[in-house]
Amino acid sequence: MSSENIESIVNRRYEHGFITDIESHGLPPGLDESVVRAISTLKKEPQFMLEWRLQAYRQWREMTEPTWAHVHYPPIDFEGISYYSAPKSDADKPQSLDEVDPKLLETYDKLGIPLHERARLAGVAVDAVFDSVSVATTFKAKLSEAGVIFCSFSEAVREHPELVQKYLGSVVPRRDNFYAALNAAVFSDGSFVYIPKGVRCPMELSTYFRINAANTGQFERTLIIADEGSHVSYLEGCTAPMRDENQLHAAVVELVALEGAEIKYSTVQNWYPGDENGVGGIYNFVTKRGDCRGDNSKISWTQVETGSAITWKYPSCLLRGNNSVGEFYSVAVANNMQQADTGTKMIHIGANTSSTIVSKGISAGHAQNAYRGLVKVMPQAHGARNHTQCDSLLIGKNCGAHTFPYMEIKNPSAKIEHEATTSKISADQLFYCRQRGISEEDAVNMIVNGFCKEVFKELPMEFAVEAQALLNVSLEGAVG
Amino acid sequence: MKQQNLAINELREAVLRMPADRLSATRTAAIASLKQNGLPTLRHEDWKYTDLRPAIEISNQWLAAGANNTASDTVADAIATITSSLDANWLLITNGVIDTSHFDRGASIEIARFSDTSAPPLADKPLADLNAALLNDGLKIHVHAATEKPLGLLIIDAADTGASVSQVNIEIKIAAGCDAELIEYQASLGTQDSYCNSIISMQVEESAHVSYVRIQDRRIGHTQTARQSISMGAASDLNMASYDLGGGLIRNDLDIDLNAPHANVVFNGLYLAGDGQHIDNHSRVDHRVGPASSSQEYRGILNGRCRCVWNGKAIVHKGADGTDANQSNHNLLLSDHAEIDAKPELEIYADEVKCSHGTTVGQLDETSLFYLRTRGLDRRQAKQILTHAFAADLVGRTPIDMTRDTITALVGARLAVLIQEELL
Amino acid sequence: MLEIKNLKVRIGDTEILRGLSLSVKAGEVHAIMGPNGSGKSTLAQVVAGHEDYVVTAGDVTYMGNNLLELDPEIRAREGIFLGFQYPVEIAGVNNAYLLKAAVNAKRLHQGLGEIDAFEFLKVAREKMATLGMDPKFLNRGVNEGFSGGEKKRNEVLQMAMLEPRLAILDETDSGLDIDALKAVAQGVNALRSPERAIVLVTHYQRLLDYIEPDHVHVLSEGRIVRSGDKSLAHELEEKGYDWLREVANA
Repeated sequence: MSSENIESIVNRRYEHGFITDIESHGLPPGLDESVVRAISTLKKEPQFMLEWRLQAYRQWREMTEPTWAHVHYPPIDFEGISYYSAPKSDADKPQSLDEVDPKLLETYDKLGIPLHERARLAGVAVDAVFDSVSVATTFKAKLSEAGVIFCSFSEAVREHPELVQKYLGSVVPRRDNFYAALNAAVFSDGSFVYIPKGVRCPMELSTYFRINAANTGQFERTLIIADEGSHVSYLEGCTAPMRDENQLHAAVVELVALEGAEIKYSTVQNWYPGDENGVGGIYNFVTKRGDCRGDNSKISWTQVETGSAITWKYPSCLLRGNNSVGEFYSVAVANNMQQADTGTKMIHIGANTSSTIVSKGISAGHAQNAYRGLVKVMPQAHGARNHTQCDSLLIGKNCGAHTFPYMEIKNPSAKIEHEATTSKISADQLFYCRQRGISEEDAVNMIVNGFCKEVFKELPMEFAVEAQALLNVSLEGAVG
Repeated sequence: MKQQNLAINELREAVLRMPADRLSATRTAAIASLKQNGLPTLRHEDWKYTDLRPAIEISNQWLAAGANNTASDTVADAIATITSSLDANWLLITNGVIDTSHFDRGASIEIARFSDTSAPPLADKPLADLNAALLNDGLKIHVHAATEKPLGLLIIDAADTGASVSQVNIEIKIAAGCDAELIEYQASLGTQDSYCNSIISMQVEESAHVSYVRIQDRRIGHTQTARQSISMGAASDLNMASYDLGGGLIRNDLDIDLNAPHANVVFNGLYLAGDGQHIDNHSRVDHRVGPASSSQEYRGILNGRCRCVWNGKAIVHKGADGTDANQSNHNLLLSDHAEIDAKPELEIYADEVKCSHGTTVGQLDETSLFYLRTRGLDRRQAKQILTHAFAADLVGRTPIDMTRDTITALVGARLAVLIQEELL
Repeated sequence: MLEIKNLKVRIGDTEILRGLSLSVKAGEVHAIMGPNGSGKSTLAQVVAGHEDYVVTAGDVTYMGNNLLELDPEIRAREGIFLGFQYPVEIAGVNNAYLLKAAVNAKRLHQGLGEIDAFEFLKVAREKMATLGMDPKFLNRGVNEGFSGGEKKRNEVLQMAMLEPRLAILDETDSGLDIDALKAVAQGVNALRSPERAIVLVTHYQRLLDYIEPDHVHVLSEGRIVRSGDKSLAHELEEKGYDWLREVANA
């Protein structure tokens, strides 16, 4: 397509001067090249970024939605989604929490996240994302003292283009999959982290994501680079307010660990799962991948997934460096009409690489919960080790628990062990507890927390507490 | 990768040359189905590790050459060797042609040909249409009562004077309360290409007990696709063991349906693969009603340039309370060029269930090796002993005692060849 | 027969033996005692040739030759027998098969022919009878599903069949009830001869009530800190191992 043609399409669609006209800087629903250009323009991106987005968009157009996951949902109208929205206060961004719109802070409070308190008390730097634009970033000074870059993705594109250009898409290529390609074309914002050589990040880094505006696709993009010998722990947590229409979320997270570096990425996900009849709820189609690029590097994923109507998520590790280590610890809860298809991929490429997978799936109500995982040992990956433990807990008669592990082993020195079990909370167990004076609800919580213990202990302390509480809330009314 | 298609026109001509009989209508329907659906490709989830193109190529060449199967006299020697090693009541299918001359008709087993009765309806399973289109004739077997000797099914293909393509279809019914022993032996010989596509369906009626031994000892390089569909009645038992020793491209599908309560299924398997072999064992157990149990253990020993696939799927349907399903798969990888793709799957829609699976891929245990060496055995000898031991456990699980010596000998001979290459 | 001089051994990054010397002559029974973690089992494993243990210094000669150069199976065929503290279970390998293969490996090494199958079974059954073992153990997998006592008896059976020159028994008494202990001791005593040496590695003095040692050595922190006759074992029984630390540190 010639540049004049593109130009004319842009003009045709937005002849009224969309940037200033559209209230709250949102774009009308629909996706074509002009939308991609508009997003890039709004974000004042350099040329390379626009080119990258456009290529992704063209590749996405050629791709079809994946259907292999064990989930069912009505077709998504990609033309019915608005690909950019921003809060009103975007024009003059607050420089500190004091400047943040009090209404915004109130929303956080309603969600049970006292942001400023948490930030001060826990010493956590918070890059809070409301819809698609960063509104508050704290502790920047302390971080920059250590040489750590922790900022919004948009800012990184402007301030650190050389790092973005070097690493963006190097772990999750643009055309990796349908949703990754879509994200690459229209991603709104997200977080960027760079830890310099030999630096141990002085605090845990955290981001809270929100989805608020109706019919808004949320396309976060996170890029974390841990340079040689560095260490970082990153926390991601999300909640979403009640909403009746399904919302698409297609995030991409890329992690790069260079020689001797370690990245710990923890997630608590409790987006709106829809009501008990399956109305509303988030569609969560996420691509998360870490690249242990250097020798002796380590990437550890820990996730507690309780939310979303549909979850399609496989945080993975490419174990390229010799002696590199990949870990995946997961608790996935599906209640009511929720559907989860989640797991991991461990690709062993370097010598003496090892991976550990612990997956705990809990199904209740009418939910369907599937673990899908791949352990692949390449021919050159001498001495690879994997241990997978994959357990399902069923609560009630109408839910489903499924396990689809794939093992592709091409090196004879590999030691691969996979175990899976399925169990239920039995009436006998509950009766026993009740006879000892424990309520049924408490007994269920107790059993579930015991079932998930191995994963919770991988979470940072304050997150573990939150995760446990969340689990209890998620399973309210599951028994009885 | 271009998918090669089956030469439908040549196939239709070959079918037209077959005599009109009770199978004709199904053959016509099968051609239409083949034309519409084709054969599975790597894009099908159940076939992602097994490429059927060699089977298609052999079939096309065979169709182009006039679709003739001509066996030489050497097949008689092979048959004699097998039938004398196992004292069973043998039904033969040689290059797709039924031969009842070794079979002793007694009161307890009734047999009939499809051409004398009726052909079963076209099954909605991959390769069933290819089977139905080219099927010369099929067999119905009804076991009424316990038999003195096991019933033997020898499926043998000779490809010594030209390529051979054969279709086998056997329907077995085990009457209620009956104890039955069956041996299925698939073999082939000859230096030309050979492809055998078999379907064996078995209905195990209420309270029947079946012991089933499956031996696949085809010539290295020959192709086999074999589907077994077994339906279990109330309180029936199946104890099955299968041994894959030879062949080139081998694909076995085992489908077991547990339709009534208190059925109990145990099936175990051993696959030994060396250079040029591709052995794929797929199983699917449908627990439709509980209580019922299914349990499987497959083991593989891989050496040389080869690939094995193990895919065990257990589906516990809604309401199948009291299901106990267990799968395990263990692999010994001995060469840099061997690959194993393992996929244990559970789909569970009921909560009163006990399901588990375990898979391991690895090498011989170093502690055991050291122990044997402190007893004076050298490393090579110790490795041989432990490799044989890995297989011996499965050999020991044959449910028919009189097959044990033959299986021990066959496994021993195959392993000796397989691990004679440098192990150290 | 066995001369160990200033032996230093580590596993991974941990140094376990720190300059151990020991001399064992034909016809002698030595007891090596010491607290847990003192290096007793390491010594046994090193003499048998376990590859995880790295010798960083010192010499070990056996029958005048450098033992450290030999593979574990050659050491075994030359007459070194290790009775394991935790004998490994090998499913699928028939006990009789292993026993016969081991006997034959040694016989071939000595230039003798393979043992006659009938003769082998006869000898094995006799030895089992004296150890109070059920002959059906011959047809079971090696140590598969054996109780602790059965495993130890099985070790002694193997030793009796292989007739070693130097037998090292690593905690052979642990986990045995009194009857099993007596049977095992009887099996060991039956092997005592002027041509043969026996090294008993043990934590407790109890076994020594049944197998009387000529020499008792106390191992602590990777070195022999005291040697004496059997009275030393009684002294240890009374005083425990704590006083050793003072000796070792002195």
